[in-house]
Amino acid sequence: MPKDVAASPAGEPQPVSRPGDRQPAPSGCAGGAPILTTHGLSKRFGDLLAVDHLDMEVCRGDVFGFLGPNGAGKTTVIRLVLGLIHPTAGYAEVCSHRVPGELQEALRHVGGFVDDPTFYPLMSARRNLRLFGSMTGPISEERIEEVLEIVDLLDRADDRVGGFSHGMKQRLGIAQALLHSPELIVLDEPTSGLDPRGMKDVRELIRSLGEAGTTVFLSSHLLHEVEQVCTRAVIINKGRVVVQGTVAELRPKSLAVKVMTGDQRKAAETLRGLFGSVREDDGYLIVEVGEEATAEMVRRLVADGLDVRAVVPAHEQGLEDFFLELTKEDESGPARPKRRSGLGRVLPVRRS
Amino acid sequence: MNGTVPPVSADLATTSSVGHGSTAAVMRGAHWGPLRREITKLLFQRRSYVIWAGAALVPFIIALAIELNHGGPHGGEGPQFFSRVFSNGIYVAPGALTVLLPILLPMAAAMVAGYMLAGEAELGTLRIILLRPVARGSIVLTKWFAAMLYLFVGLVLMVASGLLFGGLFFGLHPMVLLSGTTVGVWHALGIIALACLYGLAAMACIVSLALLFSALTDSSLTALIASIVVYIVIGVVIQFSYFDWLKPWVFPTYLEDYLSFFRDPIYWKPILKGLEAFAAWSAVLTTAAWLLFRRKDVLS
Repeated sequence: MPKDVAASPAGEPQPVSRPGDRQPAPSGCAGGAPILTTHGLSKRFGDLLAVDHLDMEVCRGDVFGFLGPNGAGKTTVIRLVLGLIHPTAGYAEVCSHRVPGELQEALRHVGGFVDDPTFYPLMSARRNLRLFGSMTGPISEERIEEVLEIVDLLDRADDRVGGFSHGMKQRLGIAQALLHSPELIVLDEPTSGLDPRGMKDVRELIRSLGEAGTTVFLSSHLLHEVEQVCTRAVIINKGRVVVQGTVAELRPKSLAVKVMTGDQRKAAETLRGLFGSVREDDGYLIVEVGEEATAEMVRRLVADGLDVRAVVPAHEQGLEDFFLELTKEDESGPARPKRRSGLGRVLPVRRS
Repeated sequence: MNGTVPPVSADLATTSSVGHGSTAAVMRGAHWGPLRREITKLLFQRRSYVIWAGAALVPFIIALAIELNHGGPHGGEGPQFFSRVFSNGIYVAPGALTVLLPILLPMAAAMVAGYMLAGEAELGTLRIILLRPVARGSIVLTKWFAAMLYLFVGLVLMVASGLLFGGLFFGLHPMVLLSGTTVGVWHALGIIALACLYGLAAMACIVSLALLFSALTDSSLTALIASIVVYIVIGVVIQFSYFDWLKPWVFPTYLEDYLSFFRDPIYWKPILKGLEAFAAWSAVLTTAAWLLFRRKDVLS
């Protein structure tokens, strides 16, 4: 059952869109009509209900993160939205065109790829782009060179794609998605298989697309990627929307800090008076404070004559924690995985 | 990725509603026709050339073997036309058609059409194609025409090779038809062309069958094998008199009726019956492929 954000123990979540039992109400787009919506979208494969009455909304101009654990139905939803598979029930609206009913019209405004982008291996990058691009409409050689330049493949434009690395193919996939300057770009794990530099470049590109007004629908298993790049996000699990809202809203506001003073016993009393509970770890006092409360805490400690030696974040409560909190109820597997840091902060790579 | 992103992004912003960036630029790439796209794909597959090479090689081998053997198979045995090649090179092309029509051409048809959808699914390009605003029905039809065009080129290569090597080894002379009438070289070439087109029409059935299997499966090899198995099974079944009632309804029955072109006057009745059967089988199978592909969930 979807977890109500308000009841989440992860800090003080803001009221994002209401995750009802089956159909969370769309949060509404401030800037006008949404560019992508799903209405009771469902897909059944035999006995498996892969997508269960999914309602979500992507606003024009969003860089929209699409998150979910393995098997949540992310790729299935993308395939449904792009008309690769047919819904069992419900429909999507893409650029004001109903899918699957008006699929061709919708696809005129969309670029992207699902799973790994693949190309004809014996053709050059340029010829591949020419071939795929011509399916949407006339495409100039200048535009082909332009998108190859964007993804830094211009110097390999005439090389056979069969000799390209995985990362180069990912970049070429983005290039073909950009060819017709679509209003909506759907990218399914575009940084998958890229080295750190490549990941950074792709994220910068996605950001710049968003800044230029292009809506990007980004499916990713990299939670920090969504945190860094996206303006809004949805988390799905078992084919249902668990929560959707702005990334800022999804990120819990609580912040645990570790405090070291000259007199920890006295400091503990002060902090208890301020925050109720204080934990101790490795000589530090740990308290859950809001960002604004940290300054007030320090002022009170100093006012009480305490020599404040260190105030450091103890545990940054990020989207990953929130994600795990939201989805762990449905997991039948082992308990919450051990927290990792840096590039290790990824979910398992397998697609949903 | 390089630092040129912001200007291009600006371009994206300004052209987003149009959906066709740089439309003002000179369209050197022009608009590629769907058929041209499919042909381009075929030209960028090595297997395409293997089949074409085979089609061109068979007439050469026939001509060479007969030259080295100082004559065709003895006692009038062997494939049709072979015994006449030694005296007239113009028989090499119809002789090659006799050899290719029941084996290599169906294989080529099954291979090229079997790959058309299933191969793209295997490669992963099908999902890229389907993200473009192209109707699935038109994709199926375009692929059918591309496969037919591919086979047509194969037949042209076979005839050209037959005439070249037949002419080189034995010279090209007026042709004596199966009915005993002698016709000039150009007339004979016309008859050979008609016979080849009839063979091509027969192959339309295999193309449609393979396209159907190609729509059913995501494995081009499975589509190829399934098509050939169906073709062979039908061919075997109609050999037995018990199944004589079936013969008028299955296309392999009419495969050898191209020989009716080599009579004077041309015996049109079996030809037209054959063409009817080919058209009906192709229409039914291609429609089935189209309907299946339209509703197919592309999960590859």
